[in-house]
Amino acid sequence: MITDSPAWVGDATVEVNGISKWFGQKVAVSDVSCAFGPGITGLLGPNGAGKTTLLRMICGLLTPSDGSVTVLGQNPRRRPQVYRSLALVPEETAIYGFQTARQFVTYSAVLSKVDVSRVDEAIAAVDLEDAADRPLSGFSKGMRQRAKVAAALVIGAQVLILDEPLNGTDPIQRIHLIDVFRSLAAAGHTVVVSSHVLAEVERMADRVLAIVDGKLAAAGDVAAIRRAMLDTPYRVRIEAADLRQLASALLQSEAVEAVSITGRALEVETPDLVRLGRLLPPMARDLGIRFSLFEPEDLSLESVFRYLVRRR
Amino acid sequence: MKAFLRMFRTSLRQLLGGKGGLIVSLLLAALPSVVTFVETRDTAPSRVITIFHEASIGILFVIVLPVVSLVFGSSALGDERRDQTLSFLLLRPQPRTAISGAKLLAAWTLSFLIVGGAAAAAATVVGIRSGDWSIIGPIVLAMALSTLAYTSVFLLLGYITRWAVVAGLAYAFIWESGISLAVSGLSTVSLFRIGFSSYAAQVDLPRSLDDFLGTLRPGTGGAAAKAIVIAAIAVIAAAGLLRHRDVA
Repeated sequence: MITDSPAWVGDATVEVNGISKWFGQKVAVSDVSCAFGPGITGLLGPNGAGKTTLLRMICGLLTPSDGSVTVLGQNPRRRPQVYRSLALVPEETAIYGFQTARQFVTYSAVLSKVDVSRVDEAIAAVDLEDAADRPLSGFSKGMRQRAKVAAALVIGAQVLILDEPLNGTDPIQRIHLIDVFRSLAAAGHTVVVSSHVLAEVERMADRVLAIVDGKLAAAGDVAAIRRAMLDTPYRVRIEAADLRQLASALLQSEAVEAVSITGRALEVETPDLVRLGRLLPPMARDLGIRFSLFEPEDLSLESVFRYLVRRR
Repeated sequence: MKAFLRMFRTSLRQLLGGKGGLIVSLLLAALPSVVTFVETRDTAPSRVITIFHEASIGILFVIVLPVVSLVFGSSALGDERRDQTLSFLLLRPQPRTAISGAKLLAAWTLSFLIVGGAAAAAATVVGIRSGDWSIIGPIVLAMALSTLAYTSVFLLLGYITRWAVVAGLAYAFIWESGISLAVSGLSTVSLFRIGFSSYAAQVDLPRSLDDFLGTLRPGTGGAAAKAIVIAAIAVIAAAGLLRHRDVA
């Protein structure tokens, strides 16, 4: 356990120690250690990064292949009683279409052994009063999301895990739900929100864990993640006649951090794309070579995270 | 108890949502009454029960009972997995035996209402035609016991595999109606015979149904004990699977 790591917090309610999960040959989560405490923590990563697998292991729905998880000091897989204090809003539909929103939230309350008088309050919190007595099967995706959030809120759990909770919601609903999550965090609840959209996480989370290819790529406050992203070099693909000669010349320049030859192209990493662009024409003239391709790679969130994982 | 009853009620509604299975079950359930009605049309009252045993009882025990039990038994946990609502249930501070128990009770209730109703309707036709109403209680009890055994096994099957219906039909028609009928020594491990042994203990059966019973001794107490033990094992085993199996 590395408690001085930015992935760790002092007042942790959820502790994840060296957790891994593989499905046959596929490694979904690889040796992740982190902790979550009161407040909102964003779990950021591209689709398929392993966020859902990690959250499902925290909730006890999946057994870790290696490592361990505790929620409020207990292993949820062994002690179902921990679900009095732990709630999950899953990414998948996970609703009973024949129930009304009120029946669904009441069902959640009864099974969680909490007072059903809290049902109306939970429905009001997600702004679903007008649709509360309509069957869930007729709900839009955003409304279903809110019904699931209400079913989690009614429990009044200390730890709330939200897997892509804003999917399908419209901008007004998003603002409303983010306010709900913030008020829970302000009341001392541990709220973990996963998302593949940085801007979304930025609006609600004080702290962010970035995950890609099942590994923890970065951890810290949102500003630290932003800085890490800005430090990420650009990748450019260049095709030319004499790759070795060009690679050798590029490595002499301070504008280039790394060069690798992949097939018929050069992969160049540069912190300054403009400078590299200015450098290449005189270099081509001096070396007497012609470029057939100069293509900057897309600086997507996924590519940034991949870079961060490689650097760790 | 409140949570158990809620799970039971919700499971009933979920099972009734599978319209295809329900329609097939209801159509099958009508078959024994129709066959009894047609076959006993011009029969002397003294022969009506014999005709019922020769023509309809096989349909009840070998077709209606396993198929209807399979429809509801395999859907009880299978539908939760298919609809991705299993995580909703498992993330509750409820004993896993309460979840599997509520599921089994719901599957058994619906199966018994349909199969028991089918048996009662066929026995009513016999009663009207012969004036003898003595078989109605024993046949309904037999259906209650056998549906409990079948739904217990199919509850587990429905959770373990997505191919539960195919596996269940293979079991019902290859093992139950084929191998276990051909080899009389295997009758002790046949589910429909649990109910049949109870029925045989209470009703005089024609010799032609000896094969149905195989080497099993007629007896209601033993049959009830067997069905209850199978149900208890299924509830505990399903709870164990809910506790240890990954919910992807």
